[in-house]
Amino acid sequence: MSFQLLLNVFLAFLWMFLQNSYDTSTFLIGYILGLIIMFAFRRYFHTRFYVGRVWAIIKLILLFLKELVLSNISVLKLVIKPQLDIEPGIFALPTDLKKDWEIVVLSNLITLTPGTLVVKVSDDQKTIFVHALNIGEKEEEIKGIKNTFEKAIMEVSR
Amino acid sequence: MKNNDVILQVTTKVIVFIIVLFSIYIFFAGHYTPGGGFIGGLMTSGAIVLLLLTYDIKTVAEMLPLDYKLVAAAGLFIAAATSTGALLFDLPFLTHGYWEIWLPILGETGLHTAVFFDTGVYLVVVGVTLTIIQTIGVSE
Repeated sequence: MSFQLLLNVFLAFLWMFLQNSYDTSTFLIGYILGLIIMFAFRRYFHTRFYVGRVWAIIKLILLFLKELVLSNISVLKLVIKPQLDIEPGIFALPTDLKKDWEIVVLSNLITLTPGTLVVKVSDDQKTIFVHALNIGEKEEEIKGIKNTFEKAIMEVSR
Repeated sequence: MKNNDVILQVTTKVIVFIIVLFSIYIFFAGHYTPGGGFIGGLMTSGAIVLLLLTYDIKTVAEMLPLDYKLVAAAGLFIAAATSTGALLFDLPFLTHGYWEIWLPILGETGLHTAVFFDTGVYLVVVGVTLTIIQTIGVSE
């Protein structure tokens, strides 16, 4: 991904030198032309074309915003209830993610969506310990959410 | 029993560069807007303190092989030299000069010798802060 991005920026600069005009619009035109050329030759690279990865990052951000709103509403419902019928608990979440930054992004997504909170990452980085506000029947649902997050992160780093 | 600090370390990797860049911005903004050498130096020290919190003193010493006492001394020397430089032009101590110079990329730029004085302040602040913190950290 980074190599393709650098190549694209280099092509845009080359376009600026060829046009002999150094401003933003020329750079943008060169960037778009480089994108078209690289799309035509996309099978030449070892990794996949980087626009797909950028789209996956955007999808991850949108998913995060959606989950943030929904889970905030559910926590608000818990807060304004007259009686407190929550059942807190800690459960272990096995994860298939390998790289450090993937683990960090997943942990931050879990923490920033209310109702769940990352307590600890295990030493071998195969398990994340999560504190849940309502552990009863929610566990399956929470695991489902984590699978969507994990899938979205996998999409980015695939 | 060592904790797995993966979240803190990866976050620090990103954040440190943002803090250092912002401290340089604050340093150069000091002539016309709030900022300057003192707060810029404190923020740079803050970035290095974040590294010290994330890793240990040995690792940070390998990353930045600096003797902070020498950094403070160099800053003091730069500030003093800039101040006494005015005496060479038959002007009172601490007089600053400035020139409007045309630079190839930046265009018309005002260069002021107060920047060198501020650089001295910056280095003194970084050196003193980190000397204090590292001395406290090493002592058992």
